[in-house]
Amino acid sequence: MDNHNTSLSKSVTSIKRDNNKVNRKRSFSLNEKQLGYLMILPSIILIIAVIIWPITVSFWNSMFDYQLNDPTRSEKMLSAHIDLERYADNYFLVNNSMKNLQSFDETGLQKETFSDLIAGLDSFHQQLLADTEIEQKYQMVEEMLINFEPVNDDELRYSSIDNDFALTYKNYIQETLNILSRVEASSTDMANAIKTVKEQLTTLESSILQSNFIGFEHYINYLFDGRMWSSLSLTSMFTVISVLLELVFGLIIALIINRVFHGRGLVRVSVLIPWAIPTAVAAMMWRFLYDGQSGIIAYYLERIGLIADTGYLLSTSAGGVISIILADVWKTTPYMALLLLAGLQTIPGQLYEAAQVDGANRFNQFFKITLPMLKSTILVAVLFRTLDAFRVFDLIYVLTGGGPANSTESISVYAYKTFFSQQNFGAGSALSIIVFLCIVLISVLFIRFIGSDLFEKKANR
Amino acid sequence: MNKKAGISFYITIAIFIFLTMFPFIWVFLTSIKPTKEIFSSFDWFTSNVTMSSYKSALTSQPLLKYMWNSFVVSSITTLVAVGLASMSAYAVTRLPIRFKGLFLGLVLASAMFPQVAIISPIYNLISSLGLRNSYGGLVIPYITVSLPLAIWLLSTFFQKIPTQLEESAKLDGATPLQTYRKIIFPLAAPGVFTTAILVFIAAWNEFLFALTINTENEWRTIPVGLAMYQSEFTVPWGDITAATVIVTIPIVVIVLLFQKRIVSGLTSGSVKG
Repeated sequence: MDNHNTSLSKSVTSIKRDNNKVNRKRSFSLNEKQLGYLMILPSIILIIAVIIWPITVSFWNSMFDYQLNDPTRSEKMLSAHIDLERYADNYFLVNNSMKNLQSFDETGLQKETFSDLIAGLDSFHQQLLADTEIEQKYQMVEEMLINFEPVNDDELRYSSIDNDFALTYKNYIQETLNILSRVEASSTDMANAIKTVKEQLTTLESSILQSNFIGFEHYINYLFDGRMWSSLSLTSMFTVISVLLELVFGLIIALIINRVFHGRGLVRVSVLIPWAIPTAVAAMMWRFLYDGQSGIIAYYLERIGLIADTGYLLSTSAGGVISIILADVWKTTPYMALLLLAGLQTIPGQLYEAAQVDGANRFNQFFKITLPMLKSTILVAVLFRTLDAFRVFDLIYVLTGGGPANSTESISVYAYKTFFSQQNFGAGSALSIIVFLCIVLISVLFIRFIGSDLFEKKANR
Repeated sequence: MNKKAGISFYITIAIFIFLTMFPFIWVFLTSIKPTKEIFSSFDWFTSNVTMSSYKSALTSQPLLKYMWNSFVVSSITTLVAVGLASMSAYAVTRLPIRFKGLFLGLVLASAMFPQVAIISPIYNLISSLGLRNSYGGLVIPYITVSLPLAIWLLSTFFQKIPTQLEESAKLDGATPLQTYRKIIFPLAAPGVFTTAILVFIAAWNEFLFALTINTENEWRTIPVGLAMYQSEFTVPWGDITAATVIVTIPIVVIVLLFQKRIVSGLTSGSVKG
């Protein structure tokens, strides 16, 4: 009985334990999965909010004639809008000035013209206020204007209006302006009054904002923009030449230092420092070395007769291009050499020994062993460097500022200037989307034509 | 291919080191010259060594403030980015979640995006949040921009850690979080540290966001501050060379201390052993 009991209780506890285990296991694995999603969530949110979403917004912005420094274009508007603050202010003024003008017209010859104009404007105004929502807003804005309060609330200030109505209203004001230009003033007072009315009418017109959605117009304009094409070709040329030079020099350096010798640490440090300093600082240093007055490199190159005068490097277009390429090669060849060296060190030494036994010379060894074994490293390094070089901004912006005469302007520099010097966010966005599309194209070409075997190899591993 | 290094080899190496270091050597030699000599002679060594350029570099612009700004921004970026990235990398390499390939693809693709294509919406966003001319205005984009690099590097490092250790920890009843804290993190610490150095250097060197978001002199970081070291009519090369020497010193120290880690970080992504 006793025995039986213990064995029973044993089996019960064992069942319990098993149950526990199962439960724990189930909740554990469920937790693991949830935890996994929870752990990648912050990164996903940030990447979407600060990279993916802005690209979409850039694309959307590029479809508008969107300029921050122009009040009629500083908002993106799919439909026509009215700036009620300016409208209310100016409508009141125009109305007064018109009546004023009428009183100056002593001859009475233009009486009919003026009353027609006043009536016409009034009818458009009534049409606008026929919308009860606009009327309410208009009254609130008017009250604020009387109290000299600024209208900061965009909701209150801007109202969407019918596109056709906006156009006809604007046309009517334009027509009024034409009529007023033809009116002969009978006195200086009247001439002044006409001038005032015309100014106010122009402001009134500008308070009616037409939609600035223009679709692909920016892109079409850039198709025929010489500056865009020259910056695009400069960027491509810079990319191809510097990456090529960096690859060749990097490979040479990597082959030379791929052995055991004293002072490897020193070489490593001297290779890492150009890579580690900020590009803007490097560009500033090179600007000093190239300087036409006190630049040592310009001075030596002139002394040995390579360049005609010391100003050549920074004040001619060919010199400028050479300068940025040289500075880039100096800064990134070390990085390339490091990547290739790491690749070289993974090649087993037996391969070379076997080749030597078979009588292959060093030349053959390089082309039959080193290059094929290094292929994937070279492809990855070249892909990364190409994408980086195509986005070049800091180096050119600091070293030459895109000059002389835009001859060293990369497409990123052009886009930056369009954004922040011209404040033209629409056109700048179109340029930046062009850069983006080029980068996508380069990546796709790499993967499609050169990198396919590389990625296959990775997948097989 | 391990050949014995001869004299000619060492001469080649010496020339190579001299050429890569030449800009620094010349900038340093210029920084200790009196201003008059900078604009009048090309002699390598001056007989009138002076620190006046250094004094002027530190007083004409708030150089130390620039360095402090860079330090604060880069440190916060590094802490947050490495923290978030190590969580993501752990989830991707160790936990049974779906769409891993999609997530890593998204990460890699966003590393390739040109920054000029996101600068205007970011500028508008930071402006509307009232974060222009503040540390936060730079930290938010910097963290995001450095996440792809950090996630990619850390995933490579985590993959190298043998899974048996975790499995035994799991058998002993450790929760995933405990496994991560007690097993993975200590083992991955060298990789995490390497990632942190690379993220820090990348944030320290960033130019485009710093140029557009923090436009007030007080809030500039080192790259932008140094690039703006020019008066309207002449370029003060004495100040600039002295400032360059000052800002290069911390980088030289970092490189000297962590050279091997930096090299392992730079090469881990591109070379598959």
